Amino acid sequence: MKFYKDHYDVVIIGGALAGLSAALQLQQKGITDILILEKHNLPGGLATSYVRNGIEIEATLHEMMSIGSKEDRLKVGVFFDECGVDIDWLKVPEAYRFVEPKKGIDITLHAGFETMANEIDAKYPGWGPKVLEFMQLCNTVYDSMNILSVTPMSKVQMLLKHPEFVKTAGYTATEVIDTFGFPQDIVDILSPYWIYVGNPLSTLPFTIYAFLMADYFRGGSYVPKKYSHEMSMKLQRKAEENGAQIEFCQEVEKILVKDGKVTGVRTKRGDVINCDYVISGAYPNKVYTQMIEPLSEVPAGAVKMVNGRRLSVTTASVMMVLDDTPENLGIKDYNIFSAGETMDTDEIWKQNQTTGPYKYLTSICLDLANPGATPEGMCQFSITNLPLVKGFLELKEEDYYDFKRKMASEMIAEYERVSGVNIRDHIVEIEVSTPVTIAHYVGAWKGSIYGFSHSIDDHAVARLQMKEQDHFIDGLEFAGAHAISGNGMGPAVTNGRAAAKAVIDDVANKKAAAEKAAAKKA
Amino acid sequence: MKVKGFLKDVGGASRVTKMRQELIANGSPVPDPKDPIRALADALHPGKQDFVVTEVREASPTSTTYRFSPKNGHVPVFQCGQYVNFYLTIGQSVLTRAYSISSAPYEARLADPYFEITVRHNVPYLVPDWFLENLKVGAEITAALPFGQFYYEPLRDSRNIVGLAGGSGITPFASMAKEIAHGTLDVNLTVIYGSVKHTDIVCGDELQAAADACPDKIRLVHVMSEDEEWDGEKGFVTREIIEKYSPEDPSYFFCGPPVMYFMIEKTMKAIGVPRRRFRHDAAAQPKVTLIPSFPEDQIGKEYQLTVVRGIHEDVIPAKADEPVAVALERAGIPIDTHCRGGKCGYCRSQLLAGDIFVSPVNDGRRAMDKEFGWFHACSAYPVSDLRIKIPIM
Repeated sequence: MKFYKDHYDVVIIGGALAGLSAALQLQQKGITDILILEKHNLPGGLATSYVRNGIEIEATLHEMMSIGSKEDRLKVGVFFDECGVDIDWLKVPEAYRFVEPKKGIDITLHAGFETMANEIDAKYPGWGPKVLEFMQLCNTVYDSMNILSVTPMSKVQMLLKHPEFVKTAGYTATEVIDTFGFPQDIVDILSPYWIYVGNPLSTLPFTIYAFLMADYFRGGSYVPKKYSHEMSMKLQRKAEENGAQIEFCQEVEKILVKDGKVTGVRTKRGDVINCDYVISGAYPNKVYTQMIEPLSEVPAGAVKMVNGRRLSVTTASVMMVLDDTPENLGIKDYNIFSAGETMDTDEIWKQNQTTGPYKYLTSICLDLANPGATPEGMCQFSITNLPLVKGFLELKEEDYYDFKRKMASEMIAEYERVSGVNIRDHIVEIEVSTPVTIAHYVGAWKGSIYGFSHSIDDHAVARLQMKEQDHFIDGLEFAGAHAISGNGMGPAVTNGRAAAKAVIDDVANKKAAAEKAAAKKA
Repeated sequence: MKVKGFLKDVGGASRVTKMRQELIANGSPVPDPKDPIRALADALHPGKQDFVVTEVREASPTSTTYRFSPKNGHVPVFQCGQYVNFYLTIGQSVLTRAYSISSAPYEARLADPYFEITVRHNVPYLVPDWFLENLKVGAEITAALPFGQFYYEPLRDSRNIVGLAGGSGITPFASMAKEIAHGTLDVNLTVIYGSVKHTDIVCGDELQAAADACPDKIRLVHVMSEDEEWDGEKGFVTREIIEKYSPEDPSYFFCGPPVMYFMIEKTMKAIGVPRRRFRHDAAAQPKVTLIPSFPEDQIGKEYQLTVVRGIHEDVIPAKADEPVAVALERAGIPIDTHCRGGKCGYCRSQLLAGDIFVSPVNDGRRAMDKEFGWFHACSAYPVSDLRIKIPIM
């Protein structure tokens, strides 16, 4: 029985957002002979949902960035529109509520630079204009990043056209924030999103921080009406309509390489599939140490690269269905960031190298952005921290379920302490995810969700500049949180498109070279 | 904008690139293929494993317990109430069938680990009595475990558990009782167990032994529906009986046949048990005549099913009163069903053309899947010729 064609132009490993976006980008440029192989039995990777006793529960998405309103679409929103992927986006009501009990801080910020500056001004009179100035800097850097990530230009041109970006590119978030002279309370209030990249502000590149701040505060963030599974399903369907073949339950075990060039893949089932290009959702760490066949084809530089770079954070999340409405339970906000002990991100970072108890939490009540997401009279609520995998490496099989319960119990207790809301007596369904859960469902290296650390010494700007030297095997590209733009569902789409662009460029270059050679011969 | 002076500022991009070059230059040249997190995930969910039958014993005059020892020496940690999925090769078909584990979790952590299931005789769930006829000591079988969410969750459930069981639905509670008696599960368990006659009681001796060992934690209430000689509770498992034996703020766990489930669900509503205090196991789909709103005029009809796997297509017959998964099994096309009740979604498949009826009993589909025509093959029935796509197994 033959389930695959003899050859595909491109095989994509992983049908998550990056892989599906790569397929759509390739298709837009006329490359349509594509096979997507997905380990799980549904698309989307972490952008998914699950059902417990008839109730659908969002698995991971807190808020989708880079979508924008219909009037002011941002990068990912524009791409989806161009592809004809029509998702029923619901706007998240506020950016966040930030609570830091020790300092008595409890403030809710909404999207809109002026809006949020005014909200801060109301509590810290006189500081609004300075906050607005800061947000405008973030926005200028954000616009530059969106242009520069797709349009190469000379350093002089860059300095002329994108001076703020150039001048802040070498600094950490802390270094740039410090130049504004904000009181520490305001710094704390402007810091919560750090966890969405999982790197303390003292080593987080300002540009990455600015990207988050501008993107979220400019147009607000969004969630799909039918959970993130809606986004995944609609991307999948469009990719299939455009001619891609997608097969589920197919884990790719080997990437076949000969003389430095990709020749195909082999699945766990044993199917060998020939192709010219592989776009890998699997982490480079796994590809270069397990998957390339033969391993002798792995250049020493590739190993040094994965060993030298640090993995970013992973997830510890408690997802619950509660037996009452948010209103009756006293849950008023879609998104709360709570700094139970401190907002010093270096200190939280230390805590995040353990398995808890965690004191910096983000909690989401989906129904407040998506009414009806849970059956009437109930709601779904999650509490999440994004720790490093380090603390989880010694876990034993025998202790795993007890460990998960202890961790979840501590996170619930901390949320209840900070919010005063009783959760524990209202739990109808509960699931706890850890790096092990991630490894099980999507197979990501060490249960990572955020790729490589977005730190100043592994800066996205440097990644872009070093693109050529990070490329080791002809025909092999990477698309996932581990690629240049890093983590998050918005960047996942961007990473997928970038991988596709690399393939498209390579096809064009090879074609041009062949034509040149033919012309010479003639 | 100035951070630290113009020259230093504009040199930033080169500076961070140099930092990154150093970071990578300092990376070890020795490949490190170890991923302990994936290794743990694989230990917890190893997928298909080969087992040997190491013991077969009577669990009652009408049921048999089978013990399975892993060929590789490892049984993944499971929780009382979870199930195992067997892959049975019968003729040219590979059938998948799920059974609740009747042994206790601690038995899977012994020096010679094992798990057990207990199967009633002459139940049409499988080819009747396939286990009894084929699984002698020494036989080999492929299975995967653990699955399912039917277990005590201390963050959610009351420590006072009332197990409501019918027939072989007692097995999760047998597992639980043995784990309590072993001292590794700290809950109070009241089992209200409905049987037709006392000779139908499954795992009766094991339950009694556990209750005798832990009289303050385990209580057994047998209810016989047609047994004149029985001197305990008689009739069905009614509201009166449930209320009579229920401790304070109990979590009710039900496992049993669909007909009993429909009754118990009504009783729970009548008593006013909150949703979070009632759990039930993912039972296999009932006969179509018991499925609410099943289109009766379809019974006896047969359709053509075109099955797409990759670029390969098969055309097979499909009965309107059998789930799509059964048509696939009859044709020898593997489909990875697990719960067989519509809940778990392992047999998630894509409808490309035609119409299906999806059982409303335990419909576990996602909203977007419903909209785009994805269905769970174990609980969907053809109402026209169909064209479907399923994963390559």
